[in-house]
Amino acid sequence: MKIDTKHDDPIIATANKLRWEVGDYFHDSLIESIYKEAEVISAKVVTTAGKKSQFDFDKFIDRVVTSKWTGFPIMFLLLAAVFWITIIAANYPSGLIASVLVDTIHPLLKNLATSINIPWYINGVLIDGAYLAMAWVISVMLPPMAIFFPIFTLLEDFGYLPRVAFNMDNIYRRVGAHGKQALTMTMGFGCNAAGVIAARIIDSPRERLIAIITNNFSLCNGRWPTQILIATIFIGNLVPPIYGGIASAAAVVSVALLGIFFSLVVSWSLSKTVLKGEASAFSLELPPYRPPRILQTLYTSLIDRTLFVLWRAIIFAIPAGIVIWLVANVNIQGISLAEYFIRFVDPFALFIGLNGVIILAYVIAIPANEIVIPTVLMLTVLVTGVSGVGSGSGVMFELNNIEDVSMLLKAGGWTTLTGINLMLFSLLHNPCSTTIFTIYKETKSWKWTLLATLLPIMMGITICFLVAQLWRIFASV
Amino acid sequence: MSDSLILVVLLLAVSILAFIFYPEKGLLNKWRSIKSNNEKILLEDTLKHLFECEYNSTDCTLTSISGFLSTSQGQSSKIIVKLEEMGLVKPIGTKIYLTPEGKSYALKIIRIHRLWEKHLADNTSIREEEWHTLAELEEHKLTDDEVNRLAAKLGNPLKDPHGDPIPSENGEIPEQKGIELADLKEGDIAKIYHIEDQPLKVFSKLTSLGLSPGMIIKLIEKNKNNIRIECEGEEININPILALNVQVVSISDSEELIESHDTLSNIPVDEEVIIVGLSKSLRGQQRRRLLDFGIVPGTVIKARLKSLSGDPTAYEVRGTTVALRKNQSDKIFIKRKNIV
Amino acid sequence: MNSFNNENCANCPAHNLNNLVKLGIDMSNFDFVVALAGNPNTGKSTVFNSLTGLRQHTGNWPGKTVGRAEGGFIYSNKRFKIVDLPGTYSLLSTSTDEEIARDFILFGQPDVTVIVIDATRLERNLNLALQVLEITDRAVLCLNLIDEAKRHKIKIDDRNLSKVLGIPVIPTAARQGVGIQELLKSIYDVASGSYICKPYRISSDIKGVNKAVEEINRMLKQKFPNLPNTRWIALRLLEGDQRIIDAVHSGEIAELAH
Repeated sequence: MKIDTKHDDPIIATANKLRWEVGDYFHDSLIESIYKEAEVISAKVVTTAGKKSQFDFDKFIDRVVTSKWTGFPIMFLLLAAVFWITIIAANYPSGLIASVLVDTIHPLLKNLATSINIPWYINGVLIDGAYLAMAWVISVMLPPMAIFFPIFTLLEDFGYLPRVAFNMDNIYRRVGAHGKQALTMTMGFGCNAAGVIAARIIDSPRERLIAIITNNFSLCNGRWPTQILIATIFIGNLVPPIYGGIASAAAVVSVALLGIFFSLVVSWSLSKTVLKGEASAFSLELPPYRPPRILQTLYTSLIDRTLFVLWRAIIFAIPAGIVIWLVANVNIQGISLAEYFIRFVDPFALFIGLNGVIILAYVIAIPANEIVIPTVLMLTVLVTGVSGVGSGSGVMFELNNIEDVSMLLKAGGWTTLTGINLMLFSLLHNPCSTTIFTIYKETKSWKWTLLATLLPIMMGITICFLVAQLWRIFASV
Repeated sequence: MSDSLILVVLLLAVSILAFIFYPEKGLLNKWRSIKSNNEKILLEDTLKHLFECEYNSTDCTLTSISGFLSTSQGQSSKIIVKLEEMGLVKPIGTKIYLTPEGKSYALKIIRIHRLWEKHLADNTSIREEEWHTLAELEEHKLTDDEVNRLAAKLGNPLKDPHGDPIPSENGEIPEQKGIELADLKEGDIAKIYHIEDQPLKVFSKLTSLGLSPGMIIKLIEKNKNNIRIECEGEEININPILALNVQVVSISDSEELIESHDTLSNIPVDEEVIIVGLSKSLRGQQRRRLLDFGIVPGTVIKARLKSLSGDPTAYEVRGTTVALRKNQSDKIFIKRKNIV
Repeated sequence: MNSFNNENCANCPAHNLNNLVKLGIDMSNFDFVVALAGNPNTGKSTVFNSLTGLRQHTGNWPGKTVGRAEGGFIYSNKRFKIVDLPGTYSLLSTSTDEEIARDFILFGQPDVTVIVIDATRLERNLNLALQVLEITDRAVLCLNLIDEAKRHKIKIDDRNLSKVLGIPVIPTAARQGVGIQELLKSIYDVASGSYICKPYRISSDIKGVNKAVEEINRMLKQKFPNLPNTRWIALRLLEGDQRIIDAVHSGEIAELAH
């Protein structure tokens, strides 16, 4: 046995003996006495002159945003407005960046490479693989984030967001989480990696972990285009053409709502099981309303959130672009690696109502959900051998005409079930590598990172499997 | 079947086999080590029981040991023989005593048990009823070093959440000084010193009544069938049999008794009140955070607004607006201003 | 004892170089180290940015400093390193953030600790300020958001506050850049020793424990006669604070004397 000398120290021995007399609630009394002195000091130096007119203004806003009648409508309208502005305003710059980076610079680089006789494989790996993946990620990620984050930050600076947490806390309390999770979840609709970082605002360890692990259930910016495209092709076509738009919009919204539902259910089960042993202490301060500083906010949210996340995404996109090009172009006995893989997983994938192309696309497009559809299209061309579309094997592309996409996918053997299951799988699959890395950075734990990664993908496979079985039962009746 | 399905099945089979037979971490190995651990657990539990007997000045016999361990008399006597060989116990007649070595071993186990309960109470969301069972498992696992680190992390607590003293690293533990709740006279004021956590049924009954160590109570009346006390502003009736599991220390200072019946959760928006105390069942980080917000006795606090679903409520305290959930404000005692 | 730090050298740096290095602070290009402490939501990060002139971007999530951000500035030809500590409500509780802040101020002995407080909530913010003054002799109080206080018709007698607390008190509105020059000057004055702080120390009775505190205090004073605030150490020992128990036991606490 180790001999402990600490108790030989007379001071410590005395302190330990006296602690028994002082008792358990010493800390309480200590804080009480500090506050007593603080009161005395501030009474000496603080004077409040006249009526606190500004104060009533705060109170007025508070009453309005937390009232039973106006609270929810304001919240939803504001949120809807933020999303609407983001989607509408991001379209134009997105197209512009894509036309510069993808349509102009990419061919230029290709020509340059040919003219100076760079071997085709190096040219392919670097320009069609790495460069194109990076260009794609920038053009689809940058504009929405550069619009969404500043607006969100302005609302935060003004002091409105803590009130949202205050209003939503009742629901989150019931599932063992913190009201601020409503905010991190909303942030996740922009970008899951940003949502995960935003969980720092929750200072209770258990609730913070719940917010981090469930953030992936928010359908992020990179997944909306997939949802909209697939819904238009496979859901919109189920109803008469005039209702097509509404039906596909309803399908997309349902998937997003399903995501919110899953985030609550998973929060509840996490808090009851694996996270039971984590500390939990609720605290929520409502800061006074402050006029937001527009320029400062634009600057910091651009640097801190947008560029920070974008940089991480680019770092992951470049190697993925290389891998995407390689699997489509490295051939063994005349068949590409991609085709080997697709043939191999096809039976399993079809069994759960997806297909090998989708699985491979999700594996190699792990850096960003944005490049899933271009990868799917490229792989479908590769597998079906359809000619006249795309820009060559290993080169991701997008089609402007939805009819063309529809024809291509149907040539690839897609059914309505494939469409529905892809929408579900797009909601329920592992977070992108940027988010996974961010989760690790934030939790410093492989355990939680692994859980956050594997849980949604397990759920995705299970749900797809169930839907496929039900579909087959009802389709055969 | 296709190739990929076969492969999936094979992988699954291999991983299941690995899960069972893996050296050191496999199920089979775990089961084996549980079996050998079992003996250690029985030995340690016996020591703990013997110590508790001595601490409460009752006698320990083979019968009481087999009762405590739920084993046969035969097995218990084997355990005692083994402990005697190890020099940890010494039977005298039918009674069994701990040797000094045995006592320090027992104190070590008790230290882990109580620290772990404190940890569960302060740092986790695990419910009160589960603390004992979990600590019962943990006490046989932690090494000396881990225990000391745990104690340091918890701020070297003196008592577990049931009010039992935690032995120090070198086995110091203060003398028992509590009396039974039923021994109080009518009108006496006392502090709950200890609530026995065994048997579990009785313990959960007592906690469901809202009793917790550290609470100040006042005995209102007692008779053969009922003991009525006032506790944190509420009147509670306790069956005298249940009351046997509650130990108290009588205090002369009546100032500590919280007589108010009001909690912060009861006040309407815009009312300003004065905080008189925080319930002892607010623990750990939760308690410290409230204190940091300046929610200490004597503080003026005002309900400012309710969230649109009614919970939480925002309060103005020392110039800041802080939202508290009902399950927190229920545990903050106040007095109304107009009465003062 | 810190050899830099004796009566003969009033304007020498007072920080504890060894401990700073242990805490991960590289001081090779700096003369003084300044710690920035304060409650969350007091505009601490804005003060940090104003002091460093935004040249040093912190890369932190706005509204929440996690861990520690560092920056630097030059004033009157002296190079200052500034360390933004995590925003906390207290230094006495057990969260990681509070431990980081407490250990930095206590063991790193920064040349100046700037306590940023919200002028509209003086009483609540003083809780932390008083706790900081318990563990350092060199501090400046930055009375931030003074513009907001004015809007709310709250007036604070900063001269009187400075007299009571024994440290410089500078009203600022960091968002508008008001008071930053004065703050820089005060930091310089305290760091260079031209302003000698006489920090306010908590002295009121703590219910029922005075005897115990006095007994330990007496023993500490005997063993460590040069320690500035043994009463605080006695309080920590009574609360079972392992870091302080270890420091008293190993004698490390004596290094904090001057």
